[in-house]
Amino acid sequence: MELPLTVKAVDLALATIAPYARPDLEERLRQARSRLLDDSVRVLVVGEFKQGKSLLVNALLSAPVCPVFDDVATAVSTAVSYAEEPVLTLVHTRGTGPDGAPEQVRTSRADVPLHELSDVVAGYVTEARNPRNAQGLTGVEIGIPRTMLQAGLVVVDTPGVGGLTSIHGAATMAALPTADAVLLVSDASQEYTAPELEFLRQAIRLCPNVACVLTKTDMYPEWRRIAELDRRHLRDAGISAELIAVSSTVRWQAVVTADAALNAESGFPALESYLGERVLGQADLLARRSTVHDVVAVTDQLRDGLRAEEASHRDPNGVQDLIRTLRAAQERAAALKERSARWQHTLNDGVADLNADIDHDLRDRMREITRLAEEEIDDGGDPTKNWDQLSAWIQQQVAAAASTNFLWATQRARFLAQQVAAHFAEDREAALPALRTEASAAVGAAREMKVREGEPWNLGQQALSGLRGGYIGVLMFGLLGTLVGMSLINPFSLGAGLLLGGKTISDERRRIVARRQGEAKTSVRRYVDDVTFQVGKDSRDMLRDVQRDLRDHFGELAEQLNTSLKDSLATAERSVKTTEGERSRRLAEIPDQIAKLEKLQQRVRTLVPAAAPARTAVEPVPVS
Amino acid sequence: MTRTLTDAARDLLLDAGRVYRHDPPTADWLAHQVDRLDEPLRLAIAGKVKAGKSTLLNALVGERLAPVDAGECTKVVTWYRDAPHPAVTVVGADGSVHELPVDRRDGALVIDLRGASADDVEMLVVDWPSQSLRIATLIDTPGLSSLSHEVGRRTLRFLHPDDERPTDADAVLYLMRHLHAADAEFLEAFRGQGVAQTASVNSLAVISRADEIGGGRVDAMVSARQIARRYRSDPALRGLAQHIVAVAGLVAETGRTLRQTEFTVLDALARQPKEALEASLLTVDRFVAPDSPIARAVPGLTADQRAGLLRRFGVFGLRLSTMLIRQGVGTPAALAAELVGRSGLAELQAALDSQFVQRRAVLKARSALLAVHQVVQDDPVAGSRELSAELERLLTGAHEFVELRLLGELRFGSVTLPAPIAAEGSALLGGAGASPAARLGLPPGTPADDLRAAALDALARWQEHAENPMLDRSVTAACRTVVRTCEGLVGALPR
Repeated sequence: MELPLTVKAVDLALATIAPYARPDLEERLRQARSRLLDDSVRVLVVGEFKQGKSLLVNALLSAPVCPVFDDVATAVSTAVSYAEEPVLTLVHTRGTGPDGAPEQVRTSRADVPLHELSDVVAGYVTEARNPRNAQGLTGVEIGIPRTMLQAGLVVVDTPGVGGLTSIHGAATMAALPTADAVLLVSDASQEYTAPELEFLRQAIRLCPNVACVLTKTDMYPEWRRIAELDRRHLRDAGISAELIAVSSTVRWQAVVTADAALNAESGFPALESYLGERVLGQADLLARRSTVHDVVAVTDQLRDGLRAEEASHRDPNGVQDLIRTLRAAQERAAALKERSARWQHTLNDGVADLNADIDHDLRDRMREITRLAEEEIDDGGDPTKNWDQLSAWIQQQVAAAASTNFLWATQRARFLAQQVAAHFAEDREAALPALRTEASAAVGAAREMKVREGEPWNLGQQALSGLRGGYIGVLMFGLLGTLVGMSLINPFSLGAGLLLGGKTISDERRRIVARRQGEAKTSVRRYVDDVTFQVGKDSRDMLRDVQRDLRDHFGELAEQLNTSLKDSLATAERSVKTTEGERSRRLAEIPDQIAKLEKLQQRVRTLVPAAAPARTAVEPVPVS
Repeated sequence: MTRTLTDAARDLLLDAGRVYRHDPPTADWLAHQVDRLDEPLRLAIAGKVKAGKSTLLNALVGERLAPVDAGECTKVVTWYRDAPHPAVTVVGADGSVHELPVDRRDGALVIDLRGASADDVEMLVVDWPSQSLRIATLIDTPGLSSLSHEVGRRTLRFLHPDDERPTDADAVLYLMRHLHAADAEFLEAFRGQGVAQTASVNSLAVISRADEIGGGRVDAMVSARQIARRYRSDPALRGLAQHIVAVAGLVAETGRTLRQTEFTVLDALARQPKEALEASLLTVDRFVAPDSPIARAVPGLTADQRAGLLRRFGVFGLRLSTMLIRQGVGTPAALAAELVGRSGLAELQAALDSQFVQRRAVLKARSALLAVHQVVQDDPVAGSRELSAELERLLTGAHEFVELRLLGELRFGSVTLPAPIAAEGSALLGGAGASPAARLGLPPGTPADDLRAAALDALARWQEHAENPMLDRSVTAACRTVVRTCEGLVGALPR
């Protein structure tokens, strides 16, 4: 694979700054280089089930990678990326590792030929062969040799959403912040439904690059009407996502027969150009911009040092002035570096606030679920009867609450990063580090909710407790009877025995039901507690990572700034003592060096088009 | 029992009417319930937006009465009932009633609200002389999960009026394309209501638009039936609906309303080479396009006509019809019969017959008792205590209700019969249909003598189960109910 232009530019910059012996700046460029090399662009394909997501992925990549079935199919998400040879990787999350965190185990197999891939994958990801994900897969990753993927594109086929409260829906939602773009798939049989629009509204808040894909246009004569209605719904909801109408069947036919006209008819060229221009193009533009930013920032620091040196050599009398301004600047930079710097306060306070807010929100949501569940148990009689439904409901609610909480945390963390960056804005460095937040897997990891049958309540048990009550009744009233001269066993004592026996049975039954209710409630509370604990820990960890990333990022920036200014200061101070010969030699050298650095800057700047970023909106091309 | 359940329910309603005679609105409402007892069964068709409710309704009636459109269409609850003369009546939200002209265009009924917004209309009533509507009055409802919330709410208000009063429908046909969480919630909520709380005795689920499964391939219905079978065996769903069938609504509707002209065109299409036809049917756009190869091959067929054909048949319907004609189906009647047969409509009608129509009396009586219960609970007056007692007596005493309740419990799993006898038990209770033959698991049309012999056999067997000391008390109680059913069967079959 040829190196991208951005990496080449960084390599050039590294070679240029090598003579200046500044390991801190070189490190920064090296980091940028490795980031550029392993950056991938994730495109999530989401939607309700049976909308043709898997077929869309297959048609897009013109390879049978995702299994397609008439019945509900995909149960585990499948990520397809580039590889020289077809390779299949299974990702399991095994219980817990040594430190209590869920551990990911990956197993790869490269023995599957391309045309058999979808059959093999079907064994892992379909509802039919892996019901309710009994194999415990977290995901399947597939590598296939397709030029389309070579630029780092990763297409992820997700299980159908089926409403926001479903477990799949929560999982998809949690994956959104890590996606670079989202394709919402809906078929042309009907306009958007309320849950679909709600999902879209949530998604666009987490991942601004969303496109709507209208599938199966080959089957529905009225698809243009539906597309128009959908566009209107999008407009009404204030969502500015474009709608691309495609037919996967036609595209597949076009691939099989290598028919270009048919391919154009399928509507896929519009989707491809969307992915190429808006998604990959956008990602590429971002990469180019950050490269330019990094290279220019690094060379600017070096050039400023050289300029200061030049000035001091040229005008030995002005040196003291220069030293004064430099010292002031260096003090400012040093202050930024200190632990007591204002941005540090903003960051620490912000994370503390965030922790408290997120935690409170989570607990609040969970408490509400527990309250509803307990009410349900209280009203429902014996909880063992409908335990399956109740526990499934609780799991769904908990999953939804955890994912909403997580989303909020992510959004707030991004906002905080911007606030911190504002402190640096005056010093021309305001690039934000990439915050890649991972969703919590706590909901799946929590212990199962169980309610024990407890002591059995069968015929024998009932007879026994009835007998016990009856015995006491007979004895009590029989003894009373003997006082007035009746025998121990008389009609009254027998009657009382029967009554008391019956009462004992019903008391006993009530007691057992109450006990089971109590146990069910404890079990629900324990489950919710477990999840709250785990999700709370995960989100605290996430925030701590964010805090660490931000601190390191901004700390390094402050450090670099400080070193550069200290260098300039030292040079200026040295120049007071330098000899005439040395001075003239440096004066001859410096313009050359500056020119070299500026030339490098100019060359790197050509990576980004001079005009405003070219946002070529891809008009959906109607098929006809 | 000398008195039928319907009579008992009517007497109870009349008694209630006497008790509440000083409260005219309630008395009127009760009188209305008495009339309702003798009316055909009321069957509501519900489901999410665009599930194909109106299309299926047309297929069941055999005429294009309900308007059908690609966008969201039905916005008002509409009743379709049998009457000697066609008429369309609007009932406004304020209770006003006025008639609309009956307008039929191109075989389809056109209803024009004349500018009145759907919010001002409580319901539409369409009177239509039809054999199919004589069996059951059909109620078309707006889709759930609709983007205009008011529309979805209207259906919910109609089917789950919560505390106000019991629903106006005796039974529900629930349409879904695939089972979504929202579908399950709806079925769940419709199940448990008031006194005659009986799990899933009055709902039937339909996988509609089955022809669209798998991209409209000719064998789509095979897949659809398989999916229906999987849903039927899913324990979570068994409690929600009595039966699940797959129906290709559009094909069924077209099959029942097929016209000679359409057949002629299809015949011409089927004469084209198979590959050419398949290529032009690859996408709907190709089929309709003015320069489509089919336009050159069948010059008489304009683009508009082709678009009309697509609307009537769908891609699946066209593929299926041309294949059938090519295989030798030579008359419109034969093609119509084939289309209806393959659409799964017959299975749906059989299920409707065995689950609802045969049980009409019980479902009607149940609705009547629910009505009395509601009145007594909302507005206790002197004499309502006696009504409650009578109501309670009917509910616990009438064997039909005991059967229904047990059937619901069995389906929902709160009572479980031992595995070897579970299937026979639920069949005897009427789980597969209320006719004696269906209960005894014999083919329809079995001679009465054989039925009687089988019933006596079953009676003996279940008496044994009922006295089996090894079985749980709840199970023996269930067995006793089945014994009572068998006794009823034997009694009803003449020697």
